[in-house]
Amino acid sequence: MARFRARHVLGTLLAFALLGAACSDDDDEPAAPDEGTEETAEGGGDDEGGDGGDGGGDGLLAEVRDRGSVNCGVNNAVPGFGVVDDAGEFAGFDIDYCRVIAAAVLGDAEAVEYVPLTAEQRFTSLASGEIDVLVRNTTWTASRDGTENAAFVTTTFYDGQGIMVRTDSGIAGIDDMDGATVCVLSGTTTEQNLATEFNARGLSFEPLSFDEVDQIREAILQGQCDGWTSDRSQLAGLRSAWPDAEGGPEGLTIFEDIISKEPLGPAVQDGDDEWYDAVNWAVMATILAEELGITSENITEQLESEDPAVRGFLGQPTGEDETVVDPGLELDPDFAVTVITEVGNYGEIFDRNVGPDTALGLERGLNALWNADEPGLLYATPYR
Amino acid sequence: MTVTTVPAAPAGRPPPWRDQRVLRAGAQVVAVGALVAVLAYLYDNLTTNLRIRGIATDFDFLDNPSTIQIAYSDFRASQPVSDAILVGVKNTLLVAAVGIVLTLVLGTVVGVARLSGNLLVRQTAAVYVETLRNVPPLLVIVFANSALFLQLPAIAEAVDVGGLLVLSNRELAVASPVVGDSFGAWLAIVAVGSVLATVIWAWRTRVSDASGAPHHRVLWSGSLLLVTVVGSYLALDGPVRLSHPSVVGRGISGGVAMSIGYGAVVFGLVIYTSSHVAEIVRGSVQAVDRGQGEAAEALGLSSGQRLRHVVLPQAFRIALPPIINQLLNLTKNSSLAIAVGYAELSALTLVLISQANPAPQMVLILMAIYIVISVVISLLANVVNRRLQLVER
Repeated sequence: MARFRARHVLGTLLAFALLGAACSDDDDEPAAPDEGTEETAEGGGDDEGGDGGDGGGDGLLAEVRDRGSVNCGVNNAVPGFGVVDDAGEFAGFDIDYCRVIAAAVLGDAEAVEYVPLTAEQRFTSLASGEIDVLVRNTTWTASRDGTENAAFVTTTFYDGQGIMVRTDSGIAGIDDMDGATVCVLSGTTTEQNLATEFNARGLSFEPLSFDEVDQIREAILQGQCDGWTSDRSQLAGLRSAWPDAEGGPEGLTIFEDIISKEPLGPAVQDGDDEWYDAVNWAVMATILAEELGITSENITEQLESEDPAVRGFLGQPTGEDETVVDPGLELDPDFAVTVITEVGNYGEIFDRNVGPDTALGLERGLNALWNADEPGLLYATPYR
Repeated sequence: MTVTTVPAAPAGRPPPWRDQRVLRAGAQVVAVGALVAVLAYLYDNLTTNLRIRGIATDFDFLDNPSTIQIAYSDFRASQPVSDAILVGVKNTLLVAAVGIVLTLVLGTVVGVARLSGNLLVRQTAAVYVETLRNVPPLLVIVFANSALFLQLPAIAEAVDVGGLLVLSNRELAVASPVVGDSFGAWLAIVAVGSVLATVIWAWRTRVSDASGAPHHRVLWSGSLLLVTVVGSYLALDGPVRLSHPSVVGRGISGGVAMSIGYGAVVFGLVIYTSSHVAEIVRGSVQAVDRGQGEAAEALGLSSGQRLRHVVLPQAFRIALPPIINQLLNLTKNSSLAIAVGYAELSALTLVLISQANPAPQMVLILMAIYIVISVVISLLANVVNRRLQLVER
């Protein structure tokens, strides 16, 4: 119950957070409220020791290094992506990307403070500076770039919104769902897609918004809802945990229809390019590592590799003059070594959390490399 | 002759810096000034920071299409955000209005039952009160939803009670009267019949007054009215019909239907709040001076009269202010409906915020609406309160 109240005063909290932050900003720049000065507003308050970061500047990157940990906004209730496991530890695909960012920026994958957020809280939390980066299966959309002032880095998971029904319901496709009651998780973009899709097909429907996955589960179990619409990865998560008495995972069917594109990836606050680049290249490094065939298993051998592309990417001296590639990202030249050693490449992260051998059992599909046998959309820009 | 100039004696008032009245007024001015300054400072900080962060502070988004659909309403995705908020207000008021009436009835019954001389009735009421008022309302609502409403048969196996009542774990519906095409004609005939009946009533009264003959006016005008009402109703092919609910496809059409989310919220809030109201009613009755009852007894009033004319009117005056509090609580607790998927104001606000509508403005609107609803309920209740107070004189 405390959580409900907390959510209702979300905006009030935002207001207070902004009020708090204001105390230090106020004197600095009373007459310069133009949008280009966000970095000053962000870093100015907490930088007590002056220029303590080795990255220089006074942006979020320096602030994170001063603090020694990354505040990462995550989910704690989606199996495979962000959950608290039996041992009480955060685990999942998104969690691993928090660790990737910490490994790249701080050289320690465990230097992460996880901040569990609901779907409604996430952008407020990002805007108020409570979290440094949001990795919470969040879809990259135009209005989130524009209105919410989030900046999305490389997509880590290409998802699509789907619809799941009970196998014994006799519903074979979306067109059979006229007049259906459809469960949705409140605070997501899925409600809008649902309305667009059903209206386009001329179907009537009743959307029931719940704010907990568990309530949706019960509503489907009891037949209050005919179906659930969400990202297909989330549907797969619920399906994998469907009770055996109801037929196990086979008791639920996910339609092939994809009613929207849902590219999920980490997001940071607008206006801090240095931090954006650092987060983006941390993510990119995992994809690049898979392209180059570097895994956490073979990283030691790869350090000795003769391939200049591999040597450059791993920050090893290359060429006759023994130069080390430093693209000026304010990251250690060998940050990728830390990322791959401590967390792994993209394929390892995928397989460990959501791959075919896990309860979710997802195929790579769109999330395969662009040059794989069955090509997907993953493409890392060159590191040089 | 010597003239001594005596300094003028202080004229009644001490100088301002020692004047109690000036000092008091000054202190109040300073206090109000400080409050205004703090609020202005906070507001300035808020707007400055929203501007620096590029968060819009205007309310233009209210005219944008909402892009969402709301369950069990005619609301469409192309309608503006402001309309969606109004649907939320309507849904919240539906919970509050029905909830308040049922709470008052149930609370009074249970409260009086707690004072009953019958041991079984008294103890049952005590268990009811002690169980419910010691449980958080969210739990009561979720329990009502999961253990009661969700356990009803699924829509495909919905229970139909003679076409009057349909129960499913999606919607509940009862038959309702609807107006037919000939309703206007029927109303006109009934109106004419009423006028005639009144005239005949007056005529029979006059005849009776003049001649002393029995007037039989109830018989005369009553039968005329009955004939017009029933006769025209039958002749006009049913101006008012009963709409029978029935399962059509995956929902219920006809009758008056409510979603089980609504049912669970109203049911949960009514049984929770009525346990508090019952305690207030019991306490208020017991708070009336025992001498009042004894005095009424001495005047020879029966126990029913004693309760109705002496004890209850006084108990009501004591009970009303705390009961108003409970009714406001019920209204605000309706925001717990998000747990059972009922689209009331708070739940809708959260959904709208997640469709890229700005949170600070939406929450301000949300707070303003709750304040208005609460103030209106208080004002209405205070009018009743004042009426009761006048009776005392």
